[in-house]
Amino acid sequence: MSAASRRDLVVGLLLLAVAVAIPFVLTTRYIVTQATLFFIWAIVVTQWNLVLGVGGIFSLAQMALFACGAYAAALLGYYLQVPLWLGIPLAGLVTVLVSMLVGLACLRLRGPYVALLTLAIAQVIYIYIINDTDCFTNPPSGCMPLFGGVRGITKFGELGFRDLFGTKFYVANYYLTLFILLLATLFSIVIIRGPMGLAFQALRDNPGYALSRGISRFKYQLWLFALSAFFTGLAGAVYAANFRAVGPDVFSITLLLFLLSMIVVGGLGTIWGPLLGAAALMLVDEGMKEFSDYRNIGLGVILAAFVILLPQGLVGALAALWRRRRSRA
Amino acid sequence: MSDVLIQIVASGLTVGAMYAVSTIGLSLVYGSLGMLNMAHGAVLTFGGYIAYYIITTLGLSPLVGAPAAVLVGAALGLAIYVVAALPLLRTRAFETSVFIATIGIGAVLENLMLKLFGAYPLPQPLAAPGGIIVGRVHIPAQNILILVVSLALMALVAVLLQRTRIGRAVRATAQNREAAQLMGVRVGHVYALVLAMSGALAAVSGIMVSSLTTLSPTMGADPMLKAFIVCVVAGLGNIYGAVVSALLLGLLEAIAQYVVGVRFGFATLLILVIVVLIWRPYGLFGRRQVVRL
Repeated sequence: MSAASRRDLVVGLLLLAVAVAIPFVLTTRYIVTQATLFFIWAIVVTQWNLVLGVGGIFSLAQMALFACGAYAAALLGYYLQVPLWLGIPLAGLVTVLVSMLVGLACLRLRGPYVALLTLAIAQVIYIYIINDTDCFTNPPSGCMPLFGGVRGITKFGELGFRDLFGTKFYVANYYLTLFILLLATLFSIVIIRGPMGLAFQALRDNPGYALSRGISRFKYQLWLFALSAFFTGLAGAVYAANFRAVGPDVFSITLLLFLLSMIVVGGLGTIWGPLLGAAALMLVDEGMKEFSDYRNIGLGVILAAFVILLPQGLVGALAALWRRRRSRA
Repeated sequence: MSDVLIQIVASGLTVGAMYAVSTIGLSLVYGSLGMLNMAHGAVLTFGGYIAYYIITTLGLSPLVGAPAAVLVGAALGLAIYVVAALPLLRTRAFETSVFIATIGIGAVLENLMLKLFGAYPLPQPLAAPGGIIVGRVHIPAQNILILVVSLALMALVAVLLQRTRIGRAVRATAQNREAAQLMGVRVGHVYALVLAMSGALAAVSGIMVSSLTTLSPTMGADPMLKAFIVCVVAGLGNIYGAVVSALLLGLLEAIAQYVVGVRFGFATLLILVIVVLIWRPYGLFGRRQVVRL
């Protein structure tokens, strides 16, 4: 095992130990549910980081994929009475299929074209959902469009934690999300340290040589895009299960900005950067609760300032600091 | 039937011309710097608000308001150059970083406007009254004014690019930054000029867009998305292709709105664009770029 992998293992186990202990130490419900939300965003962000930072795919469709997972689980539960425990993994698979379609359409294009097209696709889905007012079914609660329209979807089943654990059900949600985050992080380590990460590094460092050795950018990008979509979709489905509701607000630009900032602040393309960035921004956001009017201005400033002044992110800055201390010693 | 046709052509051309003006700025910046300016929509909205502030709040003449808005737009463009493009220009991943940085700047501008003017939609005072009747269709004078101003602006940009010394410098920089620099073109000045021009054009287009609808802080998102689409269809950086595509897309959107309903007009348009891109990944007018590795 290489030194880098050993370090990852140590960092990972430490973080996991802390995360497992939190509900025992800080028993406040608010903290546990906020931590659950942090795990959900962390899953999305680690996968987005793979796509953007490792694969070099300018995808702005990540929140649309997240929404795809959330809506898939909700729709399956609402219309077909599929239990959520089955619905969540199915939602992941549905998201993989959708992402392959998006990838086939987008990934032959170059950088900025991909960004524009993925943004456009996300917008089409959003506009379709909020503008669709034709009733698909007519339950007693009123007209129900196919995708729930502006109001979104509720009452699509439960995970059953309320029956099992009573008032402590949110702790079960916490551990379920933590488990998926663990899988997503392992996946991202395998990708970054494994052959696929190597292929992308080759394509970055010397595209001519990489291409002539038969490394197809399109093929690897499509694989990465589709595989990482599985966890993004899972995160969406767990989000839906956790809040017991899905609505079109998951498409909001503010949320997109918030998550993108997490990656940039933590460090694009690194293993632990997105997690660190997610934690940092959740904390900053919590601190800015009182000045919520200025929340988006603050987010914008943070995003721009980090890209311009600290492009390597917090992880890069820490690593540089570490190297300087070592060379001096 | 012919009335419907006149209606579609009239509204399609107006909207298309409007798209064209906001697209030229975006395309100019991408063509010369390789920079996708995600703050374009916010600059556009800012222009609309400045015109509103000067004409309605300060009570000054529109002849002061419109030029002031254009100047502020140009200043914002210049500020984006100084704050984001200039420090990032030498970095390795310029395209990615400047893209993300301008998303941040756009968010700051948009929310600044939300703080200053509120979320409540405001009417744009800069509008021409009256209209003319063609057949049995009423065409508002405002639409005609927009069409004329847009065409004039496009002609102005074309003359500037093709007939002047600075235009030649812009084109040279767009073709090859290093070669232009070696020939004594001050590339930094060119970039600053291009971003200022793009800001000024965005301000004009902001006034036009808001005169047909209303002013709101998030108003710029929709024209920016459409400008992006026009750019992508035309091939990024291709200005003349952008003008043609903008007019085409304006007409197409008007037809789609008539055929499948206003609600799904934009969605239909986007699906069409996606099909076009799968068929021609470099846009309708974009040339396949030969990348030397």
